[in-house]
Amino acid sequence: MKKQVSMVLAAAMTMSMVAAVPAAAEDITVFNSKMEIQTQMEETLQGDYSSTSGDKVTVYYSSDTVAAEMSKVYGSGSPYTVAMVDAKDIYSLAVEYGVDLSDQEWVANTTQAISVDGKVLGFPVCVEARGLIYNKTAIEDITGEEFVPENYKTLDAFKELLETLKEGGMDAPVAIMKEDWSLAAHYLAMFYEEREDVDAYIDALYAGEADVAGDARFNSLMDTFDVLKENNYAKDAPNAAVREDSEMFLADGDVAFMFGGNWDWAVMAEFDPEGEYGIMPVPQNDADEYYTLVGGGSKYFYVDNSENTTDAQREAGKALLNWFVFDEAGQDFLVNTCALVPAFSNIELEVADPLGQSVKAFADADMLTPSFNYMPDDHYAKLGQSMQSYLANEIDRAGLAQAVVDYWKSTTPVEH
Amino acid sequence: MIQDSEKALRRKRIIHTIMFIILIVVFFCFIFPFILVVINVFKEKSDIIREPLSLIGAKKGFTLANFPEAMVKMNFWTVFGNSLIITVSATILTLLFSSMTAFVIVRNNWKACVLLFSAMIASMVIPFQVLMVPIVSLYGGIFNVMNHRITLILMHVGFSLSMATFMYHGAIHTNIPLELEEAALIDGCTRWQTFWKVVFPLLAPTTATVAIIDAMAFWNDYLLPSLVLREKNLYTIPIATQAFYGTYSSDLGLIMAALILAMLPILILYLFLQRYIVEGVTSGAVKG
Amino acid sequence: MNKNSMSYKTSQFLMFAGVSTVLFCGVVIIPFVYGLYLTFTSWDGVSRSKPFVGFANYAAAFADHDYWVALGRTLIYSAIAVILINIVAFLLAYMVTSGVKGQNFFRAGFFIPNLIGGIVLGYVWQFVFKRAFAALFGVSLLGTTGPNAMIALIIVSVWQYAGYMMLIYVAGFMSVSKSLMEAAQIDGCTTSQATWYVTVPLMRSSFVQCLFLSITRCFMVYDVNLSLTNGEPAGKSIMAAMHVYNQAFTYRNYGTGQAEALILFIVCAIVGVTQVYIGKKGEVAA
Repeated sequence: MKKQVSMVLAAAMTMSMVAAVPAAAEDITVFNSKMEIQTQMEETLQGDYSSTSGDKVTVYYSSDTVAAEMSKVYGSGSPYTVAMVDAKDIYSLAVEYGVDLSDQEWVANTTQAISVDGKVLGFPVCVEARGLIYNKTAIEDITGEEFVPENYKTLDAFKELLETLKEGGMDAPVAIMKEDWSLAAHYLAMFYEEREDVDAYIDALYAGEADVAGDARFNSLMDTFDVLKENNYAKDAPNAAVREDSEMFLADGDVAFMFGGNWDWAVMAEFDPEGEYGIMPVPQNDADEYYTLVGGGSKYFYVDNSENTTDAQREAGKALLNWFVFDEAGQDFLVNTCALVPAFSNIELEVADPLGQSVKAFADADMLTPSFNYMPDDHYAKLGQSMQSYLANEIDRAGLAQAVVDYWKSTTPVEH
Repeated sequence: MIQDSEKALRRKRIIHTIMFIILIVVFFCFIFPFILVVINVFKEKSDIIREPLSLIGAKKGFTLANFPEAMVKMNFWTVFGNSLIITVSATILTLLFSSMTAFVIVRNNWKACVLLFSAMIASMVIPFQVLMVPIVSLYGGIFNVMNHRITLILMHVGFSLSMATFMYHGAIHTNIPLELEEAALIDGCTRWQTFWKVVFPLLAPTTATVAIIDAMAFWNDYLLPSLVLREKNLYTIPIATQAFYGTYSSDLGLIMAALILAMLPILILYLFLQRYIVEGVTSGAVKG
Repeated sequence: MNKNSMSYKTSQFLMFAGVSTVLFCGVVIIPFVYGLYLTFTSWDGVSRSKPFVGFANYAAAFADHDYWVALGRTLIYSAIAVILINIVAFLLAYMVTSGVKGQNFFRAGFFIPNLIGGIVLGYVWQFVFKRAFAALFGVSLLGTTGPNAMIALIIVSVWQYAGYMMLIYVAGFMSVSKSLMEAAQIDGCTTSQATWYVTVPLMRSSFVQCLFLSITRCFMVYDVNLSLTNGEPAGKSIMAAMHVYNQAFTYRNYGTGQAEALILFIVCAIVGVTQVYIGKKGEVAA
């Protein structure tokens, strides 16, 4: 009896030793700044990935801004091993704190990585684009004919469609998110981005030399915004609209359009994963030139190089990045679990979600205006406040234009 | 004369009835938010969005699923344990150190005592925001001692010492007769023994008050813990609530459950200790 | 042993107050001084370098229009909230010391909001103002206009602190001896007259205490501000403390944020000290 027990024990110990051999077992932390996929990140990276790779991953999310979160973690000397940040943070943070990833195999498979001074610092998490999300079924139920987005390139055509929808019983066919990042970083920013030489225009803004109030792009986009505003379901209290409610209304077909991007799928899918949706460019009367979605690589991982992270942890972090690109489970996680459009050419999985498909279709047709990645840290917070005021009719268009001019004059240029 | 007093009595009764009704109404307003949360925790997300005031969800009906899910996602027991350890240790240390400090300050007119006490009084008007940035950069960037419970505990103690010392100072000054201590000293006690055997037991009411006020403050504090404790397994209840809200703000049912979980421990405690807590705060007020 | 010797004094002081002194200096005095130094640098909170910039941060703080707006907003909010908190608390205290039925139950009940932290309270009320108000009155109190958001903040502050201040006033009412009240009534005062002319003047220290507590708490409000409105809509409910936090952490101007925090401290100190001084000066010797 005793002998048996000891044999079992010995066997168990050998087993556990064997099992422990391949695992270098590093504790690493991952910062996720995409709220939509936090649940998925926690479940997969802390679950399956941790048990198969042997590295113990903990995923963090913060309701604070990325910039604030990162300055707190560096201030308190506890940086994340791998952090997902916005493009601008790669320039402001990773230049000092990022590991050079140039030697990584995935570098050859993407055009979206961020390099500074010849060093690859940012790993692109996905491709994202913004435009007007539509609920195809909801529109067709009222119009009775097939909805072809190309027929509504111009604002005039789009207005007519909205009238038809209203006559058909949809009182307010549009939802507008009041979140500052959506209003300022996504909508307002399009007027910087829809032009040949974006950098020159931004320089003019910094110098206070740009005529925003008389700018054709600004006025064209704001004309459309006024129409969206007029048809907003939350018109009476636009800044009280809750993002999840708007997405639910869109998914349920209570509204037909919402300005957003393919990241909204993660929330919409919770309400109606089977619905027919898509993203179309924001209608404008000088449509042909700017009939594109705006986007590109979005969210970047970098690996921390500070003294608080060990070499072994850095290697574990790099291994995680490779897993996303080259491991079947990692690819499946990106594309299917998180509904992201991957930024790597070797990933051949079909994008499953309808919004992602729209983005991919526009990207493949070369109809994607690149997003401008070098906004100052406070751009979306400060101009977001101005956009919220404009949304609530507290300032007029001239006031908004003035706020834009004043903001850029007051801020310091971002080096890139 | 008799009629008069009867009239006065009747008037008094009417006034009492009116006051009672007012109090009931105000009381209802006070607990209305809690009632609303309790109603909604048993509903599904879409039912909450559509009809937050209905008692039972219209579409999906009654559900208990929110609690277990929120408990797992919030890592409730770990978080609760952290809050408990931190609150209890910080409170005990504050009581010990502040009563000792107050004792030496009251009984001696030394320069060091005057200086320390004035600095403490002055520090009571320093907003935490003034110290927030330097604390992060000193203890995080230079000494690298963040992410330990003990760091937070000692910081809590450091911040609450001034107020606690001030309250003990008042109590010792007015309530502890000097003769008592002198008698003990004559009997051969050292100062140290005198304090613990004679003075500290007499300070029990103040100790109760300080303990209650500080424990509530530690249990509920958010900003300082959120700057010191950055690792998930060290989170306290307020940090976990904030993190949970950021991540699951779309899932109202879960949020309701998390809010209830965050409130429940202290409400249960209050149910048993409310008499002492109310008396403690009230009696602290007279001396302070 | 000579009780006047320096070594005796030192050892006694260290024995009783040594740890306290170290902790107090460690988290209050040293950071305060270090913070003063930071206001002369342009540290971004992340970088390894802290360049010295002289008084530039103070210039930036004085030129920061949003900061002064936030500070003014905090002053107005504090003034209204402090007055309402104390009126509600005083009236409640009067009612729950009048011998009304169930007064102990009410005392305990009104204190409940104090047990719960600002973060949790803010989220509970956010739900009330957004969802329940929309269902009851057809419009949300949050996210509509700036004043609405401020009203919401004031309501929550009154609700949160009235119970605590009520207990302090209860203590005040109970400390005024019954015989004084009775004497006044025999002299022909009605109950309310006796309360107004006899009890209230004797409760001065309760008022001083309540005002000090409610002023400092309102001035430094952050948790509820964060979870209830988060500064919205359009930044119209950002209070001074939140602005300082954003300036330091979100916009990464640690130096300017620290300078603005110091200005907040000075304002807070002036208001707090003045109030206590005036209160104490007129105290009735009882």
